[in-house]
Amino acid sequence: MTYLKSHRFIGSAFTAITMLSITRTITSNGDLTSTVTIAQALVFASPIALAGLAGIWAERAGVINIGLEGMMILGTFGAGWAGWQWGAWAGVLAGIIFGAIGGLLLAVAAVTFGVDQIIAGTAINLLALGTTKFLAILLFTNAPGGGQAQSPPIKGKIPVFTLDSIVEPLTALHEKGIFFVSDLAGLVAGLFYNMSLLTIITLLLFIMTSYLLWKTAFGLRLRSAGENPWAADSLGVKVVQYKYAAVVFSGMLAGLGGAYLSIASTIYRNGNTAGRGYIGLATMIFGDWRPGGTAAGAIMFGYIDTLRLIDTGNQNVKGLILLGAIILFTIGAWMLRSSRRNTAIGFLLLGAVMIGAYFSATSFPPEVAQVAPYITTLLVLATASQNLRPPAADGVPYRKGEDH
Amino acid sequence: MLKGVKLASVLAVASLALAACGSSSDTAESAAPTAAASAVKVGMAYDQDGKGDGSFNDAAFAGLSKAQTDLGVEIKEVNSGAGATDAAREELLTLLAEGGYNPVIAVGFAYSTALAAVAPKFPETTFAIVDSVVDSPNVGSLIFAAEQGSYLTGVIAASASKSGHIGFIGGMEIDLIKAFEAGYNEGARSVNPDIIIDSKYMGPAGDNTAWNVPEKAKTATDGMIANGADVIYAAAGGSGLGMFQSVKAAGAGYWAIGVDSDQYTVPALAEYKDFILTSMLKRVDVAVYDVIAALVNGAPLVGIQAFDLSKEGVGYSSSNSAVAEYAAAADAAAAKIASGEVVVGTTVE
Repeated sequence: MTYLKSHRFIGSAFTAITMLSITRTITSNGDLTSTVTIAQALVFASPIALAGLAGIWAERAGVINIGLEGMMILGTFGAGWAGWQWGAWAGVLAGIIFGAIGGLLLAVAAVTFGVDQIIAGTAINLLALGTTKFLAILLFTNAPGGGQAQSPPIKGKIPVFTLDSIVEPLTALHEKGIFFVSDLAGLVAGLFYNMSLLTIITLLLFIMTSYLLWKTAFGLRLRSAGENPWAADSLGVKVVQYKYAAVVFSGMLAGLGGAYLSIASTIYRNGNTAGRGYIGLATMIFGDWRPGGTAAGAIMFGYIDTLRLIDTGNQNVKGLILLGAIILFTIGAWMLRSSRRNTAIGFLLLGAVMIGAYFSATSFPPEVAQVAPYITTLLVLATASQNLRPPAADGVPYRKGEDH
Repeated sequence: MLKGVKLASVLAVASLALAACGSSSDTAESAAPTAAASAVKVGMAYDQDGKGDGSFNDAAFAGLSKAQTDLGVEIKEVNSGAGATDAAREELLTLLAEGGYNPVIAVGFAYSTALAAVAPKFPETTFAIVDSVVDSPNVGSLIFAAEQGSYLTGVIAASASKSGHIGFIGGMEIDLIKAFEAGYNEGARSVNPDIIIDSKYMGPAGDNTAWNVPEKAKTATDGMIANGADVIYAAAGGSGLGMFQSVKAAGAGYWAIGVDSDQYTVPALAEYKDFILTSMLKRVDVAVYDVIAALVNGAPLVGIQAFDLSKEGVGYSSSNSAVAEYAAAADAAAAKIASGEVVVGTTVE
């Protein structure tokens, strides 16, 4: 958080909690801001956030990383394979190493040989999928408790913390249903309930990234490789080395994201990533190639997924519709003030449609919630694309000494 | 640049080759020497990643290996791999039929389209498909009355529930799985008309990840338990593991109900067995064995073959002794269904 303008951060957090609180009060659905929801949302958000962070590292150095999904698959496999034999921490380490191998492969193809980055990334996705399936049959078929498509259970656990002295009074406060105060209590309690050490590590990696990439000379050089590698080279920056470092580290982060998934479900299973690498890529774009926005995007995916899954009376999806409408109204009103009239009217109309849907329907199919994050990402891309700014030389092959 | 292109093509070819390895690993085994060697060669095409799922495919394999030892047939097994296209499935079935395998058994509804295209081309070969109906004179369609078996687990769940609140976790939201839910609901309500039943699917129709997301099934089960449910039934393939984890975490007094195979005895689930009250058994093994045995006896099974309670094609497992308490109620319900007194629906109201 060092570089974040703290008043902006506090302001947006305040707005977000107020909107959540209004929704919770109208729907009288405590689930929306309950301790358990928030804690679980963080668990679902973390692998996506790690994939998004991995994307930031590669793309800030000018290498598009479509291969995130593949590196994540390698991570899930590594964690299952090592975790089953030598425990959960060995699994985390193996996941990171396997992901790094994927990253190295992309670096060799894209940086050294200048292969089209989209094609190289896609090849890594296919390669990872095929290799892990093949290895799973080879290594897990005869393992006790394993099978052709899954590893035996991972031994041991990553420590999970619950601070009862904080959680209990705050959860009690949440249940009182006071406007704003109770919601804030639920949100804070969620941070201290079943908090996995891996989630804390994820958070630290985000803070470390914001600091390293935007506050140090190393970060400036790395980003210059993604903005204008020719100029950077003329100033003596070893562009190729920076790109290598960034892409391999990107692979390590994606691999850690994969390991997180395997450890959360206690086994490796074919197809367990379920496209989270691509979702991570979407959160990175949503977040304008910056850690803060990427984390917010990942939390949005995790939050909506959690609400959909813990929903037992089909009320959470309804609450989400109202929340979406309130968010649209807020953004619309804000845009009216900043004189972007057409977009603002579009937002207000869409918000009105959602309010209408909220009051006319008794329940919504859960699929509505499933597509909501994607629609949000599309909305952001459609309306904020003038403000989104990818690194200038993102995806452009770089050759030392070549004229630009 | 040329170097780059070369590397890219090498990568692409290597990845395709490896993907192929992953999806169709053939493990042919020769006939067991115990029985008189029969000339019958059985081709078996599993769905997704094949054996080792501790449930559906393993049940099919159990029937196959029984036929191998009892009838001395030769066997050949292939997997479709996850996300296989209809074209790839057609190719697998064609290869088996061309290789002289007869019968060719397709395990899983996902083979329906492919089998409908392949079966007419090999009129001399007998095909069979599990969980789907393919209309061709040389195809046996093996249908299971999953709703009847689920009715029994519903009876057991409602009898075992102390809170009057139970749950259902489904994999993909398709008619096949909804039949499980429908039977379960009906069975539970026959015991306790006011019972509360939570239901949650892991993905919509077409979303193949729905079978592979145990962490989501765990969260959904956590939600049901927090809401007061104390017995949960999952028909969700590999995602079902999450339900077992959640129920185990909830502790004594909570029960999980498994599906397809007897999950109490599955080694991969050994650490959860104390919480697995029973499993809805879908005797894919019985059906597979019957298909092979019929062909060996020279009277191939074709047309729609319904495996229901009366044929012991579905049922519940009693390997956990805790279920004995509720067995009387379940057996009474089974007798009523077998006699036709109770007709179980396949759609959720």
